[in-house]
Amino acid sequence: MLRTEDLGYWYQDKDHPLFQKVNLEFEEGQSYAILGHSGTGKTTFLSLIAGLDKPREGEILLNDRPLSKIGLTNFRRHDVAIVFQAYNLFTYMSPLNNLLTAMAITGAQHAGDKGYAQRILNDLGISDDLILRNVQHLSGGQQQRVAIARTICCDARLVVADEPTGNLDEDNTQAVIAQFQRIAHEQKKCVIIVTHEPDVAAQCDHQYRLENKQFVQLA
Amino acid sequence: MNFFKRAWLNVWAKKGRSVLLILVSSAILMFVLAGLLIRSAAVKATQTAKTNAGATITLSANRQAAFKKMQSSSSSSTSKSSRPKLTLTPVKLSDAQKIAKLSNIKSYNVTSSTTANAKSYDTVSTSTGMGGNSGGPGGMKSGSSSSGDTQIDGVTATSLTTAFSDSQSKITKGRGIKASDKGTNNVVIEKELASQNNLTVGDTMTVKETTGSKSTIKVKVVGIYKASSTSSASAGPMSTDPSNTIYASYTLANTIKGSKYADTADSVTFNVNNPAKVSATKKAGNQLISSKYALSTDDATYQSVKSSMDNVASFANKIVWLVAIAGTIILALIVILMVRERRFEIGVLLSLGEARWKIVAQFFTEMLMVIVIALAIAGVGGKFVGNQLGSQLVAQSTTTTQTTSSSTGQPSGGGQPGGSGNSGMRGGAGGPGSATTQAAAAKKTELDVSVSAVDLAELGGFGLAITFLSIMIASGGILRLEPKKVLIS
Repeated sequence: MLRTEDLGYWYQDKDHPLFQKVNLEFEEGQSYAILGHSGTGKTTFLSLIAGLDKPREGEILLNDRPLSKIGLTNFRRHDVAIVFQAYNLFTYMSPLNNLLTAMAITGAQHAGDKGYAQRILNDLGISDDLILRNVQHLSGGQQQRVAIARTICCDARLVVADEPTGNLDEDNTQAVIAQFQRIAHEQKKCVIIVTHEPDVAAQCDHQYRLENKQFVQLA
Repeated sequence: MNFFKRAWLNVWAKKGRSVLLILVSSAILMFVLAGLLIRSAAVKATQTAKTNAGATITLSANRQAAFKKMQSSSSSSTSKSSRPKLTLTPVKLSDAQKIAKLSNIKSYNVTSSTTANAKSYDTVSTSTGMGGNSGGPGGMKSGSSSSGDTQIDGVTATSLTTAFSDSQSKITKGRGIKASDKGTNNVVIEKELASQNNLTVGDTMTVKETTGSKSTIKVKVVGIYKASSTSSASAGPMSTDPSNTIYASYTLANTIKGSKYADTADSVTFNVNNPAKVSATKKAGNQLISSKYALSTDDATYQSVKSSMDNVASFANKIVWLVAIAGTIILALIVILMVRERRFEIGVLLSLGEARWKIVAQFFTEMLMVIVIALAIAGVGGKFVGNQLGSQLVAQSTTTTQTTSSSTGQPSGGGQPGGSGNSGMRGGAGGPGSATTQAAAAKKTELDVSVSAVDLAELGGFGLAITFLSIMIASGGILRLEPKKVLIS
């Protein structure tokens, strides 16, 4: 589904890249974990495959079409859904309106369908009495579940998550990881999670570690 | 159109911020509306001045030409005894009628003044004045050989004279002289003269010519008028008491002057429809008369009001633009701060693939919602601010105009001096440019500050422009924002 070809990135000095010659392939129906210490460039890699930045060298291809041809805005709108460590929900909206807004922007198949959005939220443990509250009144775990619900309600086949469990306790971490696994296996989406927690990575189908400017697949 | 919904949700969710924005926008728009209202009221006042203030053109003997003629005769003459006199040619009524036919002339008043001696009554004498002397107020005394104790002001109609139109003199009994009094011996006398001689409307009195056969003429009192105290006070030492001024038809004054003055006048004052067209009318009139006559214009009242209102309109214009520019800057700064505060939201929208222009449109819609409410508030408050500011401006501007007017020696309708013989061409009692008239006109000039649909539409336009510009200035931040920098740290 998503493929990188000789991908490379550096900030100021080409001689000191974060990574280079990265050739990876991500498939639908699978979950991937990208591990690495802080500052190794794993979040930068996520920003490239999420269409938030352009690679300095190499290419990213979606179903063999380069992102540069698709256009980053188009790619973000239709093909990728992002979950952030800080949730990044619309703070002036309820969970329901957060989902409806995302569906409207992305032009999802169920755009405007309140019942659909409500069902997804209910499935993720957001009860009806929470659905219409302002998201700022929800706990961290609940907000992260709303963020995950937002990725589900959009029709994007690729889901990328940046440290999605970074602000959560153990119970919520397990619940969130379980959700991502369901998204990958039941909805047949490609899930890529960037994390520094080996326990979280271990629950994904594939693990890669970014070290020495290269991605190494773990056994 | 999802951005409409987002805008509404944001404005509704952040009520405190929205209320503050509404208050700031209301204050800005209130001052813009006040400026717009004052400007339109000033324009309206100038238009009203055009119809109400009036302007006149006076046809009289060309004094300059007469003086030149006298000088040339003087240089050719050597003996002292035959020294030439300044002779002013009376205005022929046939010439005046030609000018009266011009399109902008509304009406005209023929003035022919002379003096006569009291026969059947006693004149009013004042202790400080030099009663018994002749000569019109404000003008030089007529020929000394023909001076009388009663001033006869021959007019077409008293209502057309400055003294009556400016309410310096008022008919208290009977009626004034009308055009239909032409050829009659009807007169209007002053209240003091009437009470001193027990005269009332319907009585007759006799005057005696001062020259020629010195025959007596019986006149009939058809009205009694009261002259204001200002007129009495303004009478100079050489003039007869103002109470001894009798108004009659110009034909009676001409009869008293002598047969050669039939169908003539000292001067003819034409009232012009539109003061703005005085110059053009004067130009057209000059083509109809000979060099022995001259046309002088007097549109001082109109000019005074116009100048005052131009000042107000110009200041109001500056208020509008200054407030609009300041408002745009203030709102732009607020929106810039708002954009900075909401960069995460913008980042999330961009990460979802929202187009940047739609994000700008969302901010614009939010501001538009605020501005619509602010417009309603400004519409109510603007009239009050406009009234306060307008009356302050008019008071200031009127004072400035009057000060300028008097310091530059604005002519107060001095009129023509008396000529030789008994022609008795007296000075005008003061045209519309007199200080009293100007003050009255300025006093009358009040701004009618009212909010019309056009004003609100114009305000709406300004509000929209201010919102649009402030959003455009602030949108640079949105257009440059990189979601990666905001969302992934």
